[in-house]
Amino acid sequence: MSIDFYWRLPTHGCHASIRRGSYDRGDWSPLQPGNVAPGLTAQGEDDGYRYIDHLAEIAKAAELSGFIGGLIPSFPNTDDPWVISPLLARETKTFRFMIAFQPGFLDPVHAARISASLQRATGGRTVFNVITGGGGPSQLWWGDDFAHDDRYGRTTEFLDIFRGVWAGKPFDYDGRFYQVEGEQLSDLLSREEVPEIWFSGSSEAALQSAAKHADYYLSWLEPYDQLTDKFARVKERTAQLGGEQKCAIRVDLVARPTEEEAWRDIRIGFENVSDATRAQWRGQPTDSVGAARQSALKPTEAKRWDDLIVGKNLWGGFNLLRGGPALGIVGSYEQCAEQLDELIQRGADAFILAGTPHLEEAWRIGEEVLPLLGRTAATTQNLLEAAE
Amino acid sequence: MTLRFYWRLDPAAEPARGEASARPATGFVPRDVRTASLNRYDYYVQVARAAATTAFDGLFVAYRPESDDSQIVAAAIARTAPRLLLVPEFPATVGSAVYAAKEAVSFQRATHNRLGWALTGDGGEEDAARTAEFLHVARGVHGTRPFDHDGEYFSVKGGGFQAPLANVPFPPVYLSGDDEEALERSARLADVHLLPHAPLDALRGRAETLDRLALAAGRTVELGVIATITARETAEEVAAGQGIAGSYDAVANRLADLHAIGVGHVVLSATPSLEEAYRIGQFVLPRVRARIADLRAAA
Repeated sequence: MSIDFYWRLPTHGCHASIRRGSYDRGDWSPLQPGNVAPGLTAQGEDDGYRYIDHLAEIAKAAELSGFIGGLIPSFPNTDDPWVISPLLARETKTFRFMIAFQPGFLDPVHAARISASLQRATGGRTVFNVITGGGGPSQLWWGDDFAHDDRYGRTTEFLDIFRGVWAGKPFDYDGRFYQVEGEQLSDLLSREEVPEIWFSGSSEAALQSAAKHADYYLSWLEPYDQLTDKFARVKERTAQLGGEQKCAIRVDLVARPTEEEAWRDIRIGFENVSDATRAQWRGQPTDSVGAARQSALKPTEAKRWDDLIVGKNLWGGFNLLRGGPALGIVGSYEQCAEQLDELIQRGADAFILAGTPHLEEAWRIGEEVLPLLGRTAATTQNLLEAAE
Repeated sequence: MTLRFYWRLDPAAEPARGEASARPATGFVPRDVRTASLNRYDYYVQVARAAATTAFDGLFVAYRPESDDSQIVAAAIARTAPRLLLVPEFPATVGSAVYAAKEAVSFQRATHNRLGWALTGDGGEEDAARTAEFLHVARGVHGTRPFDHDGEYFSVKGGGFQAPLANVPFPPVYLSGDDEEALERSARLADVHLLPHAPLDALRGRAETLDRLALAAGRTVELGVIATITARETAEEVAAGQGIAGSYDAVANRLADLHAIGVGHVVLSATPSLEEAYRIGQFVLPRVRARIADLRAAA
């Protein structure tokens, strides 16, 4: 047995350093000297590079340094994964495109068609991160006014149809949200593999849907005992419902040659956060259970960087430095590998890792951290047992 | 007004070309070293690059439910087919209008604004209503923030893109159809209306109707023609050719005539797509451009 390690494509710009929050890669900040993709020529004009050119480099760095692929997130102000993936299909070789998307945005039969088409364009490198529980005001921004549990019901039906039309014969479905009659993919398209499905969501509605359709259950990093319990609960509950879940963790790393260097970057990064940002440091209004679990970890105010150390090599202030989850791993290469080993022992079957800047850190973590995995006796034993 | 030429790629045509699953499994004498990573998309790229090399302005990608999706194909070829405007055809039933607009923005950002939209459909009443609302919402979230809409097919609250997503133009919209309803719809919604090829007088009549309807709607809509084309060096080689057919000179004159009655866009297709793109691009398009220049000089 081996563990799938994904990287992440930052679809809303990137920072040249974890120490500073400026989006100097991509055009999420104004074009100025020192920016890239787009940047400026020696004459001070737009150099013609676009952010997709930088994303292409990150994807290629990830596949070269040992990652199986990358998550491509989708939010209101990101570039879109359904466009990025086919754009980069032909200039990557092994990189799997993990497309984050919400079922409500596409017709399920159309989604099956474009998925099969992308499988054909990539040689089967399409993976889904199906998102359902984002919710709150941003759902209305997307034009989606479904209530929380309804959305999981819709996700289940969406995936019922998605798989149903893939089965090589006419498919009928009469659901609450979708009705189809006699739909099927052509032989040409249905020959492709159904993409692996990664699923998120901590509510009972989510688990019921996951049990039926998900290959991987994805969680942000949480305190380890809490996460161990969650994975055990997910595996038990989905087994009761007749599914089998592998579990995966999405986590950012600050990995440096020494622990001291890693914490120094965190400290400087924290000190560069404006007082206004620290004061505003609160969760967004959302009905997502996962986001609520994360915000429960946060102290009410971030005064000192080391107040946010919540465990050995664990820091809870990552979302001060960039968007996304709060909790991440900070340490030497050895320590980061030990933390990942520990998480594997606790039930993780796969990871989505990230670090800032995403291009250079893909190389660093691929070269310095991933090769150290599996060295602790317990993990090796664990992997051997799983292989038997 | 310039005349813009588009080649039309049909993902379902010539289905064995470049198709890994169509390779002979037995009875093929040459040692076959082609891996599965050489595939149909390599052929799509060849067609697109043929059109780019021979000075077409754009490439339409037909919507064929049984084959590769037009929008996936357009994106997959975009980074290796320079310069061309890429115009996938698709119906307004593919999903949410907000999502489609967001995908369009990403495509525009990544390709220096080389996306067009050709909305297709069955032309029925429901399809027409959905297409109209789809375009209203997609343009709304693209150009307005906050954008609210509560309609028959789509509803949005507080929508609209922020910078940098808000910084790119909305793709030009191509609609088609031959009847009065289609022209009326285009008068309200399209940037370009595409007519099927027809005798010059009939096209002139349609063009006048479109102009009148667009004027009434307070808009300008450009006119296009979509046609298959059969062009050969000599007229005698064009036996029962389809669409616009004839010798290179005759076909070029015909296209220049279209331009003279106000046609600004011509979407052409022929099989085999790669070879015919080269043929039309090398032998016909230069003749059309020369002919238009001559007519202009004469006038």
